[in-house]
Amino acid sequence: MTASVLAIGLVLVTSLVIGVYGVRAARSTSDFLVASRRVSPNWNALAIAGEYLSAASMLGLAGLLLKNGLGTMWYAVGFTAGYVVVVALVAGPMRRSGAFTVPDFAEYRLGAPRLRKLCGCVVLVIMLLYLVPQFKGAGVVLSLVSGTPYWVGVVLAGVVVSGSIAAGGMRSATYVQAFHYVVKLAFLAVPAIYLVVHAGADTRAEALHPEWGTHFPQTTPVEFTVATDFTLDEPVTVIAADGAEVELAAGDHSVASGTEYVFPEGATIPHPAGLPELGSERWSTPLLDVGGYPLFETWSTLLAITLGCMGLPHVIMRFHTSPTARIARRVAVGVIALLGLFYLFPTVYGLLGRVLTPHLVMLQGTDTVAVVLPAQAVPGSVGTLLTAMVAAGAFGAFLSTSSGLLLALAGGLSHDLFQGSVPRLRLAVAVGACVAVLLALPAQMIDINVLVVWAFTVAASTFCPLLVLGIWWRRLTLPGAAAGLTVGGLTATGAVGWSILLPTPAGWLTVLLAQPAAWTIPLAFVTMMVVSRFTRPPEWAEHAVLRLHSP
Amino acid sequence: MRQVHALGVDLQDGLHGRGVGAAARRLRAILAVDGVLLADLDGPVTSHGARPDDEEIDGVLAQVFEYGGSARTRRADGTSICAVPLHVADELTGALVALGEPVESDVEAAAALVSDSLDHAALRRARARIAAADLRTLRAQISPHFMHNSLAVIAALVRTDPDRARQLLSDFADYLRYGFSDKGDYATVADELEATQTYLELQRARFHDRLDITVRMAPEVLPVAIPFLVVQPIVENAIRHGLERKEGRGHISVSGFGEGPLCVIEIEDDGVGMHPELARALLAGTGPEARSVGLANVDQRLRAVYGPEYGLVIETALGEGTKVTVRVPRFAPGVVV
Repeated sequence: MTASVLAIGLVLVTSLVIGVYGVRAARSTSDFLVASRRVSPNWNALAIAGEYLSAASMLGLAGLLLKNGLGTMWYAVGFTAGYVVVVALVAGPMRRSGAFTVPDFAEYRLGAPRLRKLCGCVVLVIMLLYLVPQFKGAGVVLSLVSGTPYWVGVVLAGVVVSGSIAAGGMRSATYVQAFHYVVKLAFLAVPAIYLVVHAGADTRAEALHPEWGTHFPQTTPVEFTVATDFTLDEPVTVIAADGAEVELAAGDHSVASGTEYVFPEGATIPHPAGLPELGSERWSTPLLDVGGYPLFETWSTLLAITLGCMGLPHVIMRFHTSPTARIARRVAVGVIALLGLFYLFPTVYGLLGRVLTPHLVMLQGTDTVAVVLPAQAVPGSVGTLLTAMVAAGAFGAFLSTSSGLLLALAGGLSHDLFQGSVPRLRLAVAVGACVAVLLALPAQMIDINVLVVWAFTVAASTFCPLLVLGIWWRRLTLPGAAAGLTVGGLTATGAVGWSILLPTPAGWLTVLLAQPAAWTIPLAFVTMMVVSRFTRPPEWAEHAVLRLHSP
Repeated sequence: MRQVHALGVDLQDGLHGRGVGAAARRLRAILAVDGVLLADLDGPVTSHGARPDDEEIDGVLAQVFEYGGSARTRRADGTSICAVPLHVADELTGALVALGEPVESDVEAAAALVSDSLDHAALRRARARIAAADLRTLRAQISPHFMHNSLAVIAALVRTDPDRARQLLSDFADYLRYGFSDKGDYATVADELEATQTYLELQRARFHDRLDITVRMAPEVLPVAIPFLVVQPIVENAIRHGLERKEGRGHISVSGFGEGPLCVIEIEDDGVGMHPELARALLAGTGPEARSVGLANVDQRLRAVYGPEYGLVIETALGEGTKVTVRVPRFAPGVVV
């Protein structure tokens, strides 16, 4: 798979070159005017979309669609709808405040260095939760296309991202990120369209009609890279790595990692316990359903993603680039269009993946469906080329998002938590990358989107109330904001962390812990408002809020 | 001691600042009395603990303000009121009133402490006013030398190249308007660049186009607010002291980019450079008078606005050119256009 590695290398080098030298160079005085002209809203929208579309969108969405069913499309809706809320509530006022980050905004509005530190801590949590799945995605993709162990990819990713920042690769962040949007869209859309056309009428029909059963479409060798428990509905005879035939009876099985089986054509595909069977009614209901309360779960996830979007530190930062509030809003509208276009394609991979690569579910490797699918569907050099495209696009996704995240994280570390100087910023980049890599190493089993939604949930339960109340409610006070941030941050981080790391109690509690946004967001809002009622707003509150809204 | 220090912090915004309530509370604890009241010349500002009725307060305050000395009255219930005047810069500004069983010398010591804190607050405000005045003087410092040269160049071009002369004249007008504008203390990086461009256009005409210019700007730093007239004085310094004395073509480059939460602007020339010791002296304000004005002033203003770690950085050596780096946070409280 040298083609994929080459393609990935090409994307990396190009973005580094753009990042360092892509700053508009001008050689005469009249070009001064060109250089001092502001970046157009379209470029800015491209850049925001480029930074925003992470491995979660590029890989995770298709994978989750394959694994959990059609309800996953709500994620795409949330990711895009988040910007509607951003346009309506925060883009303009945020630009008017002149604040670059949420901690900046907190200081502008409530004027307390301690709150700034608290916000810095929240930034740290959100950014780490968001970085880990990006590194995971890089590790998985790299091990898939080049055969290296998972950890090599993760460590390499950490080195590449921090190295490119150190080399000045984010100096002209706008152009790098805009380039990445184009790469991602092209490298996801072109293979998708080719696959749809090439797949043929039967496959397309199968993909769209979920009554299809779960059988291997052809004789398929399967390598279990992680230890897996699965259930078989009927007995099947498989061929092990040493050539011996192994009879698997109907019922539950546990397979150690490293096992290789060849499943015959037409055999029933085993499915991991607890997941909806592919093509079953539960799979094709357009609601998120993991814990048994689909409506609540869907709403909760949708709330987390939609409201979390405005709280993501690296999203808010980009509006600082707009010269006026009006243009900031126009930029956000452009982002909505670009995201809407992009999210058409993960669905294609998810639906086709269900027909062509259903065994990924059993392997717990659904995050790789977009990379595995092209080679599976189109054998030969075209398939290799398509795989290389998707892999490079995925790497681009991971690179652009994690550079933005890492810079925001380092900025938070050096600027908000420690009064920092320049060497500190570089040090903070290195430290942030190290911590994220260390956290990503044991995260191979966790779905990219579960982690990303965790980050969104924390953002929605902390910065969303802070921004919304800070912008629209004069009575917000310092103790109120601090209490709300603490309560929202702790409950959201704790609940999802519990559901991922510890055994969860059955029933309602599972859903409440796994998708806590529906109760943590209101809780944070109420805490902020109640505590604010009992304390005094700063004297300049009136003036600060007025400035946010006056044109 | 900690209480005394905290008292100073509470009073840092003056008698009408935010911490004045806390200061009264602290004074009551320090003096171990039933109540403490702080008043300015118009009457009570804040109080903590027991408070006599208004008539009683007015009486004792009138006594203090009239005679300028301490006053003590005994009340019916056996407690007493002790009032001591507060003096800031030798002027009567208010009074500290203690209620209960105050020791007069203690109250007087506390009043002296409060007076000192208020004095500091006043000095701090004065310092901010001086910083603002500094900015105004820098604005007026568009050098007469430069004005004269520009007009002379334009005059020379009027007959031979009237179009160019007209263009230069309008640049000159733009430059003056920017330099004299009183929009506020801050401008965006984009505005600063435009002003620098008009300045450079005029200088190029003087140099008979033997000046090369490169600008590289990452667009995301253009809307960042920075103190007014920061870039242009550095460019002016590069031309006057770096390139003017150099034989042959000179090159100056201005680049800007984001570095995490910071905005970085670098101004680099390949002129004659200077001794690093001289650069240090210039920033310290101890260099030769004619040269130190621009850079030292910019450096001071940057430090005043953003804090001591955000001053200018000069990298230079004799014959090696000069590179001046401005590094400021993209957001700082109060810095908005």
